[in-house]
Amino acid sequence: MNAVIAYIKKDEWSPYIAGGLLGVVGVLAVALSNSLLGASGAFENLAGMIGKVIAPDLFNNMYFNFIMKPEITWQVILLVGVFFGGMFGAFTSNTLKIRWAPDKQWTQIFGNNRWTRWDIAFFGAIVLEIGAGIAGGCTSGLAISGGMLLAPAAYIFIAGMFASGIVTALIVYRGKY
Amino acid sequence: MTNYILALLLGAAFGFSLNKAGLTKYHKIVNVFRFTDLAVLKFMMSGLVVSMIGLYALKEFGVIKFPSVPATYIVGNLVGGLIFGVGMALTGY
Repeated sequence: MNAVIAYIKKDEWSPYIAGGLLGVVGVLAVALSNSLLGASGAFENLAGMIGKVIAPDLFNNMYFNFIMKPEITWQVILLVGVFFGGMFGAFTSNTLKIRWAPDKQWTQIFGNNRWTRWDIAFFGAIVLEIGAGIAGGCTSGLAISGGMLLAPAAYIFIAGMFASGIVTALIVYRGKY
Repeated sequence: MTNYILALLLGAAFGFSLNKAGLTKYHKIVNVFRFTDLAVLKFMMSGLVVSMIGLYALKEFGVIKFPSVPATYIVGNLVGGLIFGVGMALTGY
């Protein structure tokens, strides 16, 4: 038992064990709630809710009326859970802290300016969300949740994601790749 | 209501596993594209294998029915994936 507690307190688990936990969560989500783990869709639900208030005409379309309904869906609640679960994970390993400065590896490439980090994060997140919107899901909602149901879409998505991810990393890291 | 509590708990377990695998860190996500740290792949693939076994076993025993599978539209999935990868490698999310 002590060994288990000690392992929970470790900062970094073997990805295989963490992945196993993810697998169990994925099974439980289907078995208990008949839902799939998804993250990117929740942002679209929330964006729809905000959009319906600020620009109702612009958001009065097929996509936001039927595909991504502007309401608090199961996925939105899941996302809240993810936020606190992640924080709890950091708390157990005593690494929970508010940090403004970028990652060490980041500063070697982009420099020390925290606003560079924020700008690229903002811009990159828009790109990421558009991609997820077109593909019909993100890493968790499509690649993992779709993959475990053996949906072809998931594997096509994974192929595309790695192809462009590798190229982008090559460009960003150039000689340091 | 019960369903929402379940979502919260499952989400928390999901976030916990992400944190413990280190996937909340920039370098972990980017390094999988540089082939210097394959934690993302190991995490994803072991998650896939475990859940596949669990789900197909439960389906075989008639305990569950599969929810609607994400739609396959080859060009959309592929183009979406290509755009997504750029964002992922840039931000490290």
